Amino acid sequence: MASSALALTGLVAIATPAKAADCTGTIAIMAPLTGGVAFIGKEQSGFAQVAIADVNAKNGSKIDFKEYDTQLDAAQAATQAPNVVANKGVIGVVGPAGSQEVLAVGGLFGANDIAVVSPSATRTNLTAGTYPSFFRPIPNDGLQGPGNARYMVQKLKAKEVAVIEEKTAYGTGLAKEFLAEMKKLGVKATNFAVNEKNADYAAVVTRISKTADFVFVTFQDAAKSQQVAQELIKQKKKAVVFGSDGSDQPTFKTPGTYVSGFAPDVSGLQVAASAVAAYKAKTGATSITTFGPPAYVAAQVIAEAAVRACAAGKIGDRATVLAEIKKTKIKKTILGGSLEFTATGDVKGGRFYIFQTQMDGSRKSIG
Amino acid sequence: MDYLGQQLINGLTLGGVYALIALGYTLVYGVLQILNFAHGDVYMIGAFLGFFAMTWLGGPLAPTVPIALMLLVMFLIAMMGTGLLGIVIERFAYRPLRNSTRIAPLISALGISILLQNGALLIFSPSIRTYDTSSYIPSTLGFSIGEITIDSVRLGVLVLSAVLMILLTKWVNGTQVGRAMRAIAYDKDAAVMMGIDVDRVIRWTFFVGAALAGAAGVMNGLLMRGVSSGMGLIPGLKGFTAAVIGGIGSVPGAMLGGLLLGVIESLAQGYLSTNFADTITFILLITFMLFRPNGILGRPMMVKV
Repeated sequence: MASSALALTGLVAIATPAKAADCTGTIAIMAPLTGGVAFIGKEQSGFAQVAIADVNAKNGSKIDFKEYDTQLDAAQAATQAPNVVANKGVIGVVGPAGSQEVLAVGGLFGANDIAVVSPSATRTNLTAGTYPSFFRPIPNDGLQGPGNARYMVQKLKAKEVAVIEEKTAYGTGLAKEFLAEMKKLGVKATNFAVNEKNADYAAVVTRISKTADFVFVTFQDAAKSQQVAQELIKQKKKAVVFGSDGSDQPTFKTPGTYVSGFAPDVSGLQVAASAVAAYKAKTGATSITTFGPPAYVAAQVIAEAAVRACAAGKIGDRATVLAEIKKTKIKKTILGGSLEFTATGDVKGGRFYIFQTQMDGSRKSIG
Repeated sequence: MDYLGQQLINGLTLGGVYALIALGYTLVYGVLQILNFAHGDVYMIGAFLGFFAMTWLGGPLAPTVPIALMLLVMFLIAMMGTGLLGIVIERFAYRPLRNSTRIAPLISALGISILLQNGALLIFSPSIRTYDTSSYIPSTLGFSIGEITIDSVRLGVLVLSAVLMILLTKWVNGTQVGRAMRAIAYDKDAAVMMGIDVDRVIRWTFFVGAALAGAAGVMNGLLMRGVSSGMGLIPGLKGFTAAVIGGIGSVPGAMLGGLLLGVIESLAQGYLSTNFADTITFILLITFMLFRPNGILGRPMMVKV
């Protein structure tokens, strides 16, 4: 009888919706907080924190966060992942930033029912079904590579292009998608694979044909894209650098160059104004890149799913949060559009944005 | 032919930077027979000092002094700063271990390397800095010979590398400290008996070697490469490779090794594969270690028995 009473009490506890104040849980933020691209991690973490605060303010919940530094390095991400799993309070992960990191940790998180919502990992096969708990609020390279190729050929009238493929999970996958589309379009594309540790691109630029119209680069460090753009000018070659989203950073600023981004410039969007202002006030930043706002959406997705799980009486239950994320429907995110996920975790109706660098180094959205 | 010429120019510029790093390895090895594996990180500190000197003078977009003066100050501050850092490293990391086992200074060097990297990360923040050279030296400035183009920055790096190497050669051969350095490298005990102040000469050796690495760091920044706390590892290893190829302990050998390595790397990227240049570099290192451990200009070491 006593055991039945206890069981009943437990059942009631599970089934009873929690008070908002009891809705707790920790969102792990896996980002490059130190290392060469720490500005990405700091912006992603800052926006994620703003989103968590917004969801808490709206719902009265007490969801918190914990940062895990991955340095955009797969090995470092793999070292941090067991710590995230071991933290029983963790209900989901914002991040990791890089595709190579997701490849390293996606399996472990999937096996532990921990939802992983990356704001910037775009490699196409991450959503091929291998990582059932992986989601992204941004489009994938299956859209970026072919999209950039079509834009170059159809809008910019490219007749011949060169590709500098940085040998990383991100760079190689993207170059492959781009080259396949160029082949379909019947445009000559010559690929030059380079080591991630390569520091001098003069020899590679010398190899690029004088008749090439564009050089598509798949770096994750925009300083390299800038170096290639300047080296092309020095060697009097007409090709213009077209960078992927990895080059969408302020250091890549040669006028006339192009870059694609997985998110729009939200600076002018009314729906993003409050989040951007809160981020700037919190961090003291004076400008933002396209890396931060998707992290806001990623954290919002997890936090709102956690609130729904709480309402169902499943406070901090990873599997329930994961199930709730799959049902995500946000009418308008700070990226300007609606958000729903496909069965494999991709965003429905995603698209890339093309920007051109102006004489003053600013970017103008052109497609 | 133009293509080959352009790749040779690319390689010589790269080689000039490697040679300056290699000289630091070779000077220290010549005098103390230790491998200063913190040398790549001294090069990194030099790149940062040059960057901060530029920022102090108004930055790339609004320099407060003429560009030539700004560049001069950048090099002077980087070279003086790293030179003094070299003295500090010698005093605290190597001198206490001078009479210990051969492995001890090697471990100490690795410790200093990690300390410098993490110290830079903490103090300078993890962001990648760029010298933004094109803002004050237009990329179009330079000249062409046929289809070969040599921009002003690359030319400047080539000329300055050559000038620094000539000055070093004159210093080693023509000054009292340089002669004392060679004497210590030849026979330290005999040099002590001849009244040479060994500590003073070693201090000079570390100062000069580190100052050259500082200059190489600024050159790296001017060539449009990113400046960050982790930037010293690969160039440091390549500088070491250049020193081994040339014959570690030999000043002309380090110069030759550096230039040769830069040219080989550039030609490998130009004719073989853009992806495997580093692999080829380190295969070269292994080949020299196996078949010609004394390098091109190095001499077999005489061991007292």
